[in-house]
Order: sequence, then structure tokens, then C-alpha cells
Amino acid sequence: MPRSAQSGQGADAALYERSGAAAYGVSTDQFVDILDEILRKYLPKEPSLKSTHTAPDQSMERRASFCNGLRLEELALARACAAGNERAWQDFISRYRQKLHNMALRITRDAAHAAELADSLFADLYGVNARDGRRNSKLVSYTGRGSLEGWLRTVMAQEFINRYRKQKRTVSLEEQTEEGVQFAAAVPEPACAADPRLEAATDEALAELSPEDRFTLASYYLDGRTLAEIAHELGLHESSVSRRLDRLSIGLRKRILAGLRMQGMSHAQAAEALETDVRDMRLNLRSRLMQDSDAKTFPENKVQAQDAGDGSAD
Amino acid sequence: MTEVPKIVYDRLRAAPPERATLGQTVRESVHPDADLLTAFAERALSAAERDGVLQHLALCRDCREVIALAHSDASAAAAPTTAGTESVRAPVPAKSRWSWLSSPKLAWPSLGWAALAAGVALAASVLLLHPGKLKQATLSSANRRVAPSALPAGPQTTSAPGVSSPGLLSPTASAPTTSLSANQFSVPPNAASVKTRAMQTKPELGPSKKIKAVPPLAVQPGMMLADNRKASIPGHNRAAVPSPAASAFRSEEPGSRNVTQNVEVAGAAVGVAVAPSPENTLMAQNTAPAIEKAKPPLPETAVPETTVNESQKTAGVAASPEVRLYGRDVMSAGKRAPSSSQPSAPNVAWTITAGVLQRSQDSGQSWQNALRADHPLLCYATRGAEIWAGGQAGTLFRSADNGLTWVRVQPSIKSQTLTSDITHVDILGPMDIVLSINNDESWSSKDGGKTWAKK
Repeated sequence: MPRSAQSGQGADAALYERSGAAAYGVSTDQFVDILDEILRKYLPKEPSLKSTHTAPDQSMERRASFCNGLRLEELALARACAAGNERAWQDFISRYRQKLHNMALRITRDAAHAAELADSLFADLYGVNARDGRRNSKLVSYTGRGSLEGWLRTVMAQEFINRYRKQKRTVSLEEQTEEGVQFAAAVPEPACAADPRLEAATDEALAELSPEDRFTLASYYLDGRTLAEIAHELGLHESSVSRRLDRLSIGLRKRILAGLRMQGMSHAQAAEALETDVRDMRLNLRSRLMQDSDAKTFPENKVQAQDAGDGSAD
Repeated sequence: MTEVPKIVYDRLRAAPPERATLGQTVRESVHPDADLLTAFAERALSAAERDGVLQHLALCRDCREVIALAHSDASAAAAPTTAGTESVRAPVPAKSRWSWLSSPKLAWPSLGWAALAAGVALAASVLLLHPGKLKQATLSSANRRVAPSALPAGPQTTSAPGVSSPGLLSPTASAPTTSLSANQFSVPPNAASVKTRAMQTKPELGPSKKIKAVPPLAVQPGMMLADNRKASIPGHNRAAVPSPAASAFRSEEPGSRNVTQNVEVAGAAVGVAVAPSPENTLMAQNTAPAIEKAKPPLPETAVPETTVNESQKTAGVAASPEVRLYGRDVMSAGKRAPSSSQPSAPNVAWTITAGVLQRSQDSGQSWQNALRADHPLLCYATRGAEIWAGGQAGTLFRSADNGLTWVRVQPSIKSQTLTSDITHVDILGPMDIVLSINNDESWSSKDGGKTWAKK
């Protein structure tokens, strides 16, 4: 047998043992299959562990380090649950059932929906398909790249957004009007179009930004996240984010001006094109920012309250 | 504040759909899967993958929101015990998730709440002096949610104040402010966690409680204690019996002199930092009933549930917005307070998971299957030791011993058996059961399930 395949097997065994999959009734082969599947997903160009082709040692190393970076124990637990292993379910429930509720509370900030969300996700995870009794668990898609708890949170947040946010979005307009919210420019921008040259220059400037910069801008200006939140998401210090935003806003202005001038505007014209907007912007930005960016939350509340309204004395 | 030219803002929003090649693992126009997003948030991605995800996130509001919802407080959430952390983090950001606090919705209330509270105070004082009316009010609003008697300690369905039912109703009747101020943080999470375990039960003392609880509340938080003394309604000197905790320590001691003590006791028992604020105050008024219903004879601390504590810490001490939010919904939560966990065993909780009725004897730490029927169960209701569970295809079971043994009930009307799904069960009284059916019918029985009538 080629050496690489041998060492591959040795690596498999080590991974298998670390995962503790045996305790959940998962065999080595099954586990390796799972790893293969994950590898194929994330490192599509890499041969699988089981491949009999001679694999260069380097890529063996990469595979090994990739696998080592996975959450093997959680992966084993999740996949064992997906397969219906009782012991796995006991462990899962004891570790995560209550967490699901807590997560739901944090996400929905609403006791009524939290219970529904948590229970419904749990049902999805449990995955019993009533019809043919076969298990169809969501856990089968967990790949161990992040923690299981984090994954559960993410899935729950996705579910929440699908379920409640979408609902909210359709009513947000009326709701907000009723509540007297200053709708400012949260509404689709009127087509009093900006100068197309301005648009083009801006698009170009934005396109040149790094993904992280764009993400920072979008988070801050579109979503209204705080510096602290953005810093947390990016793993940066709050002051770094603040500096970055400053740098970006100055840099963008410069770039746009340069772009406009390249399109034939004089400096004065370019500056004017931008200046006018900035003044408007200040107005809009402030009102937008003061009007909580999470204004959407409360129309949602209202909707929820109405939903729960049968019993609510509100 | 940093500003960008408006045009930048416009173009950010009008960003084109995500472009091609966002990285190996993220295919064009597809959201990164939960694993990638999680790994991103936990910084477990390679640089290239991270860039790819960021590229998508820069253009996709939904995914950004997922990240923010799921992972923004990761550090705080991971250590639910650090309640202080949460409360510190939350209010700090000017424009945070909690920024909705400053939303217009809360702007109007300052005036509105005062007016509302005043009005309710008036109504409440009237109602309190006329228990009969209150009961009616209870039932009428109850009808919407059903199961008035799915209350803890069944017999005490009377919502009249002054009923000396163990720690349950009396505290709420009289106890408003002190309990509220003390409990404002404990209340919501308790109610919430309690509710999550018994979603299906739908008690509805909620509305009535609210009315009762409100009167002394029409004040500033700082004034609460003092007010309680003044505001104790004549002939209603139970004003001193605030929280379940307090009531456990000395139940039903009248007299405002006990107010402070009770509050302290309650405060200590609860062990949660109280940060008074108008929202919390008002919140509390709505939630107190719920919590008190949920945990009558037990001091809050004595309730061992890690569930309660955890959610207390994670959800409770968090900034006022959360508390406030609970107010509205704990109202409904309050109505759903699990009567089940009360009289028989304080730590018993119920839930339905994947069609199976499960029971926990240890407040949710571990669950055992209590009833598995040939069709998935969809709902349950408890009243004392009595439990009804309904499900698909007319499945209906009843237990009189808190779920140890079960008897099948076949609702039928004129020898036509029920075959549709039972989506809701309500126990209105000892023999009074109402089933909601998924075809919009409502079946009720007055004799404990022997005979039925359709509405």
C-alpha cells in the first residue's frame, strides 16, 4: 500500500479516536466517510482520505490539518444523532436542549416566539419524518467547522429571520406609519437620480474596497450596528473600527472626486456634485440613525403582539 | 460622527447581486451555509474563505443579520453567569440592538404610560373593590385564550383579591409595586422559561392580574416602595405581600411596614441587579402576575432550575429593552404559565417534542417521554395532577396522576368520532374541557370527557 495511504489511515484512526464517535455507535468507516464528505465540500480539489491514488504528502498534510481544525467530538455527536443513536440523543438533549431555549430568547427577545422557535428547531433536529418514520435530521448538515452550539445559533437565527422578519417586512410600512416613525429615507430612494457620473464614480470606489471594508461600511451605515458590534464580529478593537470608518469616508470622498474628474468634471464641479449630497446626507443620516435602525423590530413586536393578541389585554 | 457622502450610501444599498467567485466554498448567489457563517463568527476560517464570506456579507443584509443575531453577544452568552457583563454591554452602544429603545414607540409612552397607568389605577381601584367584576373581567378575556382554570392550584380560580390562596393569587392581588420592583428582572425570564415549558397550557389570569397589579404602579420606579405604602388600597392591606419569594418567607403579612422588608427579601432572594427604569417598572407590572402564578409557594432562589437562572442571567439582567419586551409578551406568557409545574411538583415541566409528550422532573435538565401515541401529539394542558394531551387524528389522552398513567379518550358526538387534529386543549374546570380542532371546530365536554358537544 502506498505510504501516503497508510499514513492516511493512521491519521484517520487518530481522528476517529479523538472524536469519541465509537461511543455513539459510529464505526471508523462511517466516520471517515463523513470526513470525506466534508472535505469534498470545502476542499473540492483535494482527494478524499480514502483515495487510493498516490497523494503527495503535502496535500495529506493539508487534509490532516483541515480535519484537525474540525470539531470532531461535536461532529460525531451531531452525526450520531442524525443517525438516531439513543445515547447521542441523550447527550445532545442534556447539553443543548435548554440552550436552545436560551438562544431563542436572546434572538427573538420574545418569550412567546422563543418557545416556538426553540421547539420547532428541536423538532427539525430530531428529524423524525412522520410519514415513513425515517429520520431526516438537520444535524446531518453540521460539518464541524464551527462549534455545534454556534451552529445551532446560526441555524436558529436563519430560521428566525425567515420566519419572523419576512413577515415583518411586509407590514413594516403601515406599521411604521402608524407608529409615527419618521420614515426618512429608509424607503426606497426616490429616483431623483444622482448624476450618473457620480454613481459610476462611487461604484468604482466601492468596488475597490476590501471585503472587510465593505462589510464594515454596510454594517455601520446600512444596518446601524454599533462600533462594538462590528468590532466583535470582525475580531477587532472598537477603536480600530472607528478609525477604519473615518479612513474609509475620507478615502471614498477622494476617490469619488478623482473619478469624477477623470470623467471630465472640473474640480469645482466634482466637489459641488459631492457637497450637495453630503449636506443632504447629514440630514438623512442623522434622522436615519436616530430613528433606530431596528425600527423593524418594533413593527415586528406589534405584529407579534397582535398574533399573541388573543389573550393579551393589550 | 463619521459620515459618508450620500451617494456612497445610495450605492451601498443598491449594490448589485453578489458577484461570482466569492471563494472556493461559497458559490455565486448562494448564501454561505450555517457552518461557514458560524466558523466565520468563531474565526475558524482561512483567510481566503473569510474574505469570501465577507464579500457575501457586504452585500447580503440577511446574512449580516444572522451573524449579528446569533453571534454578537457570544462572549456574554457563553457565560450566562456574568449577568453584569450583559447589562454593561447592552446599554453602552449608542446605536445598538437595543436602540429601538429610543424609538418613537417609546417616545410617546412617557406621556402615554402615565396616562395609561393613571387610568388603570382608577379602573383597578374600582375593580379591586368589586371582586365580582374582576372575575368576570377575567373570564371574558380568558375566553380568548381559554383555560382559566389551567391555573396553578386549581381551586383558586377565583381571581378575587384577598383570597388567601397560598402565595399565588394574593400576592398578585395586593402586591404590585414591591414585588414588581424587586422582581423586574427575575420575572421575565422566569415567566419566559416557565412558559417555554408549557406552551400549550393557556391560563389567562393575565389580564385580570394586570389590572390588579397596576394600581400602585403609576409612579416612578424610585417611588415604588413609598408608593406602595401610600397606594395600598384601603381594606387591602396585603399590599405588603409582594413576591413569591417574600410570600414564602412570610406570606400575607399585611401592613406596609413590611414592604421594605419584603422587598429586600425578595431582592435578595432573587439576587438579580435591579436597574429601575420606566420601562422596567411598567414591564414589571405586566410580568409580575406571570411570575407569581408560575412559582407560588417557592421562593425564587429555591427554584433550582438552571433553566430559570440561566435565562435569568442571559435574558433577565440584560438591558431594559428585553425586560420591557417581555412585558407585552409575558402577558401572554403569563397566561400560559404552566399550571403543571405547580401543585404536584415544583420542578416538573412538560413539553412536546416531535409529537411526543415529555416530562422533566428537574426543571428541564433532563426529559423523559411521558406519552407517545400512535399519532403525533400536538398540544397538552394541565391542571393540578390532571393532564390532557391531544394530537393528530383525534388522538386524545388523559392522565389524572400527573402523567404516570394515561387513558385514551375518544371524543364523539352522536357516535361520530373525532378524526381531525386537535390543536389545542384547555381545561376550564375540573370537568370542563375544550378542544380546538384544526378544522376550526371546538369540542367541549362538561363531564370530564365522557360526552362532548360541538361549537
